[in-house]
Amino acid sequence: MNRRNALRNTGLLVGASALTPSLLALFQSCQSKPRLEWQPLFLTEDEARFVTAFVDTLLPATDTPGGLDVKVDIFLDKVFAEAYDAEAQQQVREDIAAFNAEATRQSGAPFADLKAEDRAAVFRTAEANSGKFNGQVWGTAVGVQEPVGFYRSLKLMALSAYLSSEVVGTQVLRYDPVPGGYDGCLPLGPEERIWSL
Amino acid sequence: MANFNIDAQKDLTYDAIVIGSGISGGWAAKELCEKGLKTLVLERGRLVEHVVDYPTMNLDPWDMALRGGLTPEEKRKHYKGIRSGFIGKDTEHFHANDEENPYTEVKPFLWVRAHQMGGRSILWGKQTYRWSDLDFEANARDGHGVDWPIRYKDIAPWYTYVEKFAGISGEPLGLPQLPDSHFLPPMELNCVEKHLKERIEKLYPGRNLIIGRCAHLTVPHNGRGQCQYRNRCSRGCPYGAYFSSNAATLPAANATGNLTIRPFSIVQSIIYDDAKGKATGVRIIDAETNEAIDYSARIIFCNASTLSTTQILLNSRSSRFENGLGNDSGELGHNLMDHTYRIGAMGRVEGFEDKYYKGRRPNGIYIPRYVNIDEATKSDKFLRGFGFQGGAGRAGVMNAANEEAFGAALKEQLLQPGPWEFFITGFAECLPYHDNKVALNADVTDKWGQPTLAIDCEYKENEMALNRQIQADAVEMLEKCGVKEVVGFNNHHEPGYGIHEMGTARMGRDPKTSVLNAFNQVHAARNVFVTDGACMTSSSCVNPSLTYMAITARAADHAVSELNKLNI
Repeated sequence: MNRRNALRNTGLLVGASALTPSLLALFQSCQSKPRLEWQPLFLTEDEARFVTAFVDTLLPATDTPGGLDVKVDIFLDKVFAEAYDAEAQQQVREDIAAFNAEATRQSGAPFADLKAEDRAAVFRTAEANSGKFNGQVWGTAVGVQEPVGFYRSLKLMALSAYLSSEVVGTQVLRYDPVPGGYDGCLPLGPEERIWSL
Repeated sequence: MANFNIDAQKDLTYDAIVIGSGISGGWAAKELCEKGLKTLVLERGRLVEHVVDYPTMNLDPWDMALRGGLTPEEKRKHYKGIRSGFIGKDTEHFHANDEENPYTEVKPFLWVRAHQMGGRSILWGKQTYRWSDLDFEANARDGHGVDWPIRYKDIAPWYTYVEKFAGISGEPLGLPQLPDSHFLPPMELNCVEKHLKERIEKLYPGRNLIIGRCAHLTVPHNGRGQCQYRNRCSRGCPYGAYFSSNAATLPAANATGNLTIRPFSIVQSIIYDDAKGKATGVRIIDAETNEAIDYSARIIFCNASTLSTTQILLNSRSSRFENGLGNDSGELGHNLMDHTYRIGAMGRVEGFEDKYYKGRRPNGIYIPRYVNIDEATKSDKFLRGFGFQGGAGRAGVMNAANEEAFGAALKEQLLQPGPWEFFITGFAECLPYHDNKVALNADVTDKWGQPTLAIDCEYKENEMALNRQIQADAVEMLEKCGVKEVVGFNNHHEPGYGIHEMGTARMGRDPKTSVLNAFNQVHAARNVFVTDGACMTSSSCVNPSLTYMAITARAADHAVSELNKLNI
């Protein structure tokens, strides 16, 4: 159980005071799929479960918050809902379906329903089959950027969403909104983290 | 602070009218007001008061809806400008509405516009370099275009004059092809840039790698604060640490008591009086009420930005000027130029893994032009030249996304600096071609029913040859300097991407072949001055804004002198 699940269960208990903990556990175990704990703006319930599983596999909670702790999945749904046009939205649905079809082919079930080691195997295959991003100059890819595929694109989106979240941006990374000066040769220790912003 | 006088209702007559409030219009306003002229600045868009009207200046990514991303509706509003890559939620409100202000691309052309007080001086890249006689003599030397009517000695004192006010940081080098400015202390190179500077300057005598010269204050200057290294410049700077009309020239103009600035004023045309043989005023359309209003003045400065100024001149037709004000030569609208860019090389630098940096420096490195500067450096492949901008930094999230890792291992990499990367990208001079042009297009009108521009411009063989050399030189320099995994790139785009559009109302010595004289006066309407990018006779390979500032201050001085002598 990661910290996010602990929080979720606590929240669920508060809202379900009639149920004893043991009854609650029984209730949860009877469900074929874990319930989604948030209301997607764009994604279907199953698509949202995929995005949540993707983010959790990519960025699990360790000694630093995981992607789900900082609501990367909820933010990605918001991006699909509010930043994508209809064509891009349709593409997301097709990409998720295709990724799940591949997971089913490899491991027998959609990605969200796989065990950790099967999810890892699906990710390893996706890594091997995905293109890479070209270098960038001033926010623009240099050279001809070949399509990197859905896995690499969603990975970048999830990593960016993680880094741009308030918790990571202010507590995990070094947050210095007004540096006041420039030091072009700062010693860097082996464990030191990147600057936020 | 400022409390700008925006009441242009009670007074329809001024000593001077300035059309536009961007980088050159702000200078015209300051100079004319300080010389005692009651000056009306006409601004197409809304007021943007320094600090007060910078709504995003302190926002962190998580403070913005979609963390800075745009909605489909916002992207549609900027359906042309969006391809610049410079429009995000943090700056969207400073970019023009393309749906209300269409233009026609006869050939592909990116026209980045900013319709508000301050114009693109809020958004500009702030690289500031003097031009030299290598530039002012270029047309005369190789026969392309017409000769500039001025030389470096004519403008050098005006460079100094504007630099002392604006505040330009940089390092003096004594290079003849890139004259030193009156400098504030330079920004700092980081350790990888210092390393590559040593390598390049050792391996290539005659080439220099320097910190960018830029309009950022490195010390407090003229009441404005120094750079805090936030790199959020294009949202507007709360410290006034970079030069903009809003932070610098317009408050100075306002302090004289002589300034009136009228927002939402779309200039329809300049009114020319055949009998008097000069311009008498400006006709505007109020963008909010659609009301047409005429303002009168003794002199008129055109600073609407390169193509908008020419659009106004083309639309100012009279029996004397049937093809546009000042267009006796037929050159009005022609000889449009920009700088090619996004051609260069990048790679990884090893050996500095234990070094990082603090602060987000809004500046990079510069490699001044080193080809075609004398007989020894003459190329047989192309005319003119190029310079490089660039910089070194540690790779970030894109690098992590490319790593074949996920889970806990990926998180470790994500939270620590990636490898050092270094890139350089060239900016090449574009020759003035008569057939690179703009024309009025009555078939497509803007929101206010005004004819728009059709832009017909392309790079030609000399620019392509420059681009090939840029990429070859960039790859070679990086490889020789020990940069690893060097990738050359040519993301050359259509003109406009450099956002250095120049020409279309060029200065010259002969009224038969040019629109403006040596003091930026329309040859046949000497109380009309054009001192924005439209006036440029050639394009150099270095950034033009500092030259617009100097040319404007010089022309304003001449204008007042001529007014006092009753010559105009």
